[in-house]
Amino acid sequence: MSEPTTERTEAAEGAEQPDFLKVTDLHAGYGQARVLQGLDFSVARGEVCAILGPNGAGKTTTLRALCGMVRGRGSVTLNGTQLLGRSPEQAARLGVAHVPEGRGTFNDLTVEENLRVGAHLRSRRRAERAAVAADLERIYGYFPKLRQRSRQAAGSLSGGEQQMLAIGRALMLRPSLLLLDEPSLGLAPLVTRELFEIVRAVNEEERTTVVVVEQNAQLALDIAHRAHVLEAGRLALSGPAAQIREDGQVAEVYLGVSVSARKTG
Amino acid sequence: MTELLQQVVEGLGSGAVYASLALALVLIYRFTGIVNFAQGELAMLSTYVAWQLVASGMPFWLALPVTLAVSFAGGMLVERIVIRPVQGAPELTVVIVTVGLFIFVNALAGLIWSFTVKDFPQPFPDGGLDLAGVRVDWSTLGIIGVVAVVMGLLYLLFQHTPIGLVMRAAACNPASARLSGIRVNRVLMLGWGLAATVGAVSGVLVAPLLFLEPNMMGGVLIYAFAAATLGGFDSPVGAVVGGLFVGVAETLTGAYVDVIGADLKVGVPLVIILAVLLVRPQGLFGRAAVERA
Ligand SMILES: Nc1ncnc2c1ncn2[C@@H]1O[C@H](COP(=O)(O)OP(=O)(O)OP(=O)(O)O)[C@@H](O)[C@H]1O
Ligand SMILES: [Mg+2]
Repeated sequence: MSEPTTERTEAAEGAEQPDFLKVTDLHAGYGQARVLQGLDFSVARGEVCAILGPNGAGKTTTLRALCGMVRGRGSVTLNGTQLLGRSPEQAARLGVAHVPEGRGTFNDLTVEENLRVGAHLRSRRRAERAAVAADLERIYGYFPKLRQRSRQAAGSLSGGEQQMLAIGRALMLRPSLLLLDEPSLGLAPLVTRELFEIVRAVNEEERTTVVVVEQNAQLALDIAHRAHVLEAGRLALSGPAAQIREDGQVAEVYLGVSVSARKTG
Repeated sequence: MTELLQQVVEGLGSGAVYASLALALVLIYRFTGIVNFAQGELAMLSTYVAWQLVASGMPFWLALPVTLAVSFAGGMLVERIVIRPVQGAPELTVVIVTVGLFIFVNALAGLIWSFTVKDFPQPFPDGGLDLAGVRVDWSTLGIIGVVAVVMGLLYLLFQHTPIGLVMRAAACNPASARLSGIRVNRVLMLGWGLAATVGAVSGVLVAPLLFLEPNMMGGVLIYAFAAATLGGFDSPVGAVVGGLFVGVAETLTGAYVDVIGADLKVGVPLVIILAVLLVRPQGLFGRAAVERA
């Protein structure tokens, strides 16, 4: 594989729809607690965008606002369509797939059933049946472990396998926007690396736009085109992933985020 | 021995009725985490609908599907109007709402049909089979058969249809279900509709044995609670096994334990509930509460 950083930056610049996801003055919170204090950023179609930042900065809240899990003020448009004010099920219908923090698999259902639930919006259309079956194969291609365990209850999978399943389920939606919240949480470095390579492959092969929130900044920056560092509900740093990596020292000192070139895995 | 078997057969007959109401309780619990104290009263209301249809000249076997359809719609309506507004409220609030619904439905039935008992038609023919000296009435067989069919249909629905899959997903993890585009609120409505339909079956089955009146299901509800507790409140299979067990336990203690006799056998379900809660609170087939990730 070629050196990822340069390759990624080029892809970002070559993107034809720079405002595919456009977030303008986004405020969100929980009741009295105001978490996001006016975010502005855009993600181009086919881009991977990383959101980094210390604990409690509002990374999860940002993703939740994008997919309708929390109410937001301001504007979030996906391909021109307003996402704010919609419920999660409506957002899903508009092509937003969110893999929440801490997995969110259907533990009573088998692995294959989990994947089928992911495709349920599509499988109601008769013409889509064959495509859904093909996608099932595609997911099993990405995650061969899931194929081995296809008849097993999701609750009996290991943490890493559940994370794969959660991502697989989100992909079954054929999303135009994939939101990943800390996919590395609790996983062994090797598994995490594998998972990120798959996210990169999905992004390259399907041109799926991805917003990934990560504590492991190094890994996220490896697959991202652009990155934003969030602190206390505001963007403290934004730019091409390579540049953020370079500014890592700054981020480390001021934000307590480790984005230095320390290799993991 | 024959005498004992005879009692067991009769116990299975009433147990099947408890099983179907327990099944309704379990359905709602699985989907909403709510213990619906009004389940029996909703079943009673459905039974009145069936009675009214038959009294106005409709043949029973036509009145039954109509009643089930009405019950399904009614169950969905109850979810939408009564339960949805308290969604997410503390458990005690929801419990009180279902108790309120119990009282309301009971009074409503009394208002419309009065509290005097009505004769409900026996849908099954008289007579029965003689199996090596054990007499099995057609009505007993019919009840067991109907409950078996209901179970089978539910199994097919949940395990072998896309909508069943979506319903199970919504019951298992509502947040992730919504993120997959499932309209969980509609699933909850469907769940209440299904539960009301299954409950209606139990009401219609038990009415010929008990006489129809607004308080008819009170006792049955207690047995159904015992059945669901014994089987595990989140297990449909448990509800059925529990129902049959409770039915048999009821007839056997009534027949053989002299101090209990016919009058005190209502105590049986209460003893079962207590024993289960003390020894194995999650029931035979239920899962112990585990924090979800
Ligand atoms: N459900 C909630 N109710 C109230 N406050 C919340 C809720 N979820 C998060 N918060 C608060 O919002 C702030 C931001 O939380 P958020 O989960 O977005 O942070 P994060 O950047 O994802 O952190 P982490 O890296 O720890 O996951 C925190 O101060 C947190 O206490
Ligand atoms: Mg978070």
